[in-house]
Amino acid sequence: MIELTDLTKRYGKTLAVDRLNLSVAPGEIFGFIGPNGAGKTTTIRMMGGTLSPTAGAVVIDGIDMAARPEEAKRRIGFIPDRPFLYEKLTGMEFMRFSADLYGVGDGTFLQKAEELLRTFGLFDWSHDLIEAYSHGMKQRLVISAALLHNPRVIVVDEPMVGLDPAAIKMVKDILKDLARRGTAVFMSTHTLSVAEDLCDRIGIIHRGALIALGTTRELKRLAQAQQADLEEVFLKLTEEQTLS
Amino acid sequence: MNGVLTLLKPRLWSFLNGNVARDREPRNIKWLLFGGIGFLFWAGIFTVFYRVLRYFQGVEGFGDILAYKLLSMVLITFFALLIFSSIITALSKFYLSRDLVLVHALPVSPAQIFLARWIESTIDSTWMVVVYSLPIFLSYGIVYRGGILFYATILGALLPFCLIGSALSAIAVVLVARFLPAGRIRTVFVFLSLVLFVILLIAFRMMRPEQLTNPDTFASVLLYFRSLETPGSPWLPSTWIYDSLREVLSGNRSGALFHLALLWSGAAALGYLMTWIAGAAYFQGFSKAQTTAERLLPSRQGRGAAGAWLLGFPSGPTRAFAVKEIKTFTRDQTQWPQIFLMIALIVVYLYNFSVLPLDKSPIKTFYLQNLFSFLNMGLAAFVLTALSARFIFPAVSTEGVAFWIVRASPVSIRSFLWVKFWVYFLPLAILAEFLIVATNLLLQVTDLMMILSTATVLLMVPGIVAMGVGLGAAYPDFQSENPAQAVTSFGGLLFMILCAGFIGFIVILETGPVYSVFMASLNGRGLALLQWVWLAISFALVILLSVLAVVLPMRLGERRLKALA
Repeated sequence: MIELTDLTKRYGKTLAVDRLNLSVAPGEIFGFIGPNGAGKTTTIRMMGGTLSPTAGAVVIDGIDMAARPEEAKRRIGFIPDRPFLYEKLTGMEFMRFSADLYGVGDGTFLQKAEELLRTFGLFDWSHDLIEAYSHGMKQRLVISAALLHNPRVIVVDEPMVGLDPAAIKMVKDILKDLARRGTAVFMSTHTLSVAEDLCDRIGIIHRGALIALGTTRELKRLAQAQQADLEEVFLKLTEEQTLS
Repeated sequence: MNGVLTLLKPRLWSFLNGNVARDREPRNIKWLLFGGIGFLFWAGIFTVFYRVLRYFQGVEGFGDILAYKLLSMVLITFFALLIFSSIITALSKFYLSRDLVLVHALPVSPAQIFLARWIESTIDSTWMVVVYSLPIFLSYGIVYRGGILFYATILGALLPFCLIGSALSAIAVVLVARFLPAGRIRTVFVFLSLVLFVILLIAFRMMRPEQLTNPDTFASVLLYFRSLETPGSPWLPSTWIYDSLREVLSGNRSGALFHLALLWSGAAALGYLMTWIAGAAYFQGFSKAQTTAERLLPSRQGRGAAGAWLLGFPSGPTRAFAVKEIKTFTRDQTQWPQIFLMIALIVVYLYNFSVLPLDKSPIKTFYLQNLFSFLNMGLAAFVLTALSARFIFPAVSTEGVAFWIVRASPVSIRSFLWVKFWVYFLPLAILAEFLIVATNLLLQVTDLMMILSTATVLLMVPGIVAMGVGLGAAYPDFQSENPAQAVTSFGGLLFMILCAGFIGFIVILETGPVYSVFMASLNGRGLALLQWVWLAISFALVILLSVLAVVLPMRLGERRLKALA
């Protein structure tokens, strides 16, 4: 469902992402972890089509992002790390805006939008301007809007930032449910417990390169730390990479 | 004081870091361009004042009175400008800047924050007034042979003058912000000042200054001159600076020193009062500014009549962007006063045409009416350019930090820009045609001129809108706290220069052929073959230019916006 081939991004002399090769199958939740400045957000942005790669390709559901960006984006539900929105629209209007962009028909829109807004606890504020929303409410609105068109791929950058524990649990359940129904989820996170709990496979990126890839068990084996949790595995692997 | 200096350092360092930025070369070009234009303005002001003062000197008995009255008026204008600009700047600096939450969390007192912000605000709001007042003072110094003492008095007087303006504004802002959320004050203040400005403008127009050229009204003009010698209010700081300059020019040093002392003591007293008031009220006002102001108009559920009409748009993405654009524009209260001002200017514009004294002109009225109609095409296009600079050029920048939504959406940058184009083209085209048809009707022009001017303007509007959207996309500023200011950037300047060139070319291309057609019909003759060819080439070039003005900027905008990724 998601194919990254030799994906590379350079900012001037800085190599942010270095020949990244990855694939995520339908129904899989893939966790992308790494230290600050490792290249996670750059990778996510290239996958979402908001940043063009220096080299390599992003293929979503068989569609090359560079060749047919609109087609590819239509299949993605993109959730950025910071929920910047149109502050002068109401929550419901933003949902309508997203529906129009992603081709959700008028017939199904209202029911779907209300259902999502209720799920995310925003229905009572759906006719208030977004400028009055808290950070967490904006984040929940972005997630609601991203799910409106039943995307085949979810690309999400730090989904839990700014959410309260109840919302975190809800988002986790929703992502699991989506994966069960065949949606591929690509998620970057710093919250390693979330990654451990949620992800089928995890990739560790460090200084732009993928240094480890596998299930939690495989990563523990790789780090020769069978009894450790993901945090220790992560620290061990990135430390080794820094020293080498 | 150390805390205040530390708080000022980020601003200073950011300014210095601008010189070591990666894109240094384009920056230098921008500085050169802005510097060049700024200097031209500076030199222009100097030339105008120098010539006017020389002319006044030649007027027996009256010249000096006129020159001093002019100085007094200039100083009052500067003071009003200082107050206006200081209030707007102080509001942002004290209450609305994004970094304030961080700054207030630092271990420094609100008084120190206030003082640091006030220094920044004073510099930002006064430097331009000071720079552009210098050529005026220089012209007075040269014409009246002011000498070193005159220039020293200017330097000694300008600083307290600016401090007084800035302190008065800060006091007003701090007091009002104690009771009203700062976001709302800005809207109310801008709105009130524009109302005042519009009233003054309309009142001035209704006085019909063109009547001053009529000898029958000279009795009232003489009365007006008699009133020139009336001194200004002794409570106004502009009177103190005026008196000190007047005394030094007339050689009365002790008198000049007295008025200078008045300025400095006034500035010191106001500075003390300001810090005292700020100590008592600033932080409470800042806390109030953190709450979101309630909406002036409640939201309606579902779509209204306009929304229903928009549902007929052919594609979802077009509809999405169009609805979003219209709603965010109409809900942004900072846009309302500007729309109000625009309507007032259009009323004055049309009124000007209705009072043109065509019948008193020595030139044939019939000829003059059509000449005005022709020139009016250019004038109306310039009005549209000014509107586009304010509303269309910043249209892409207003996406701001939410631009990721456009980039992540299944819509091409091209479609996004064309939606912007159509959203703004339709109202602007209607406005342009309204202006042209209304003025033509007031001028009672020939059918030929009516058709020609409406068609030409209809050709020009797409070009102006496309340049606004395209260049706005080529030079976006997604980080600005006030995207409307994008027009003061390099891209905004380029937009205005290109628009002026475009309009100028179209008018020049049409002038010759239209004149020959007009004269031929006036004299009852037909056009010669060469004139027909000239006419065809000219109008073909007009069409070509209009098409290029749409295609090229839109392509440039699309390319530059894509390259941002």
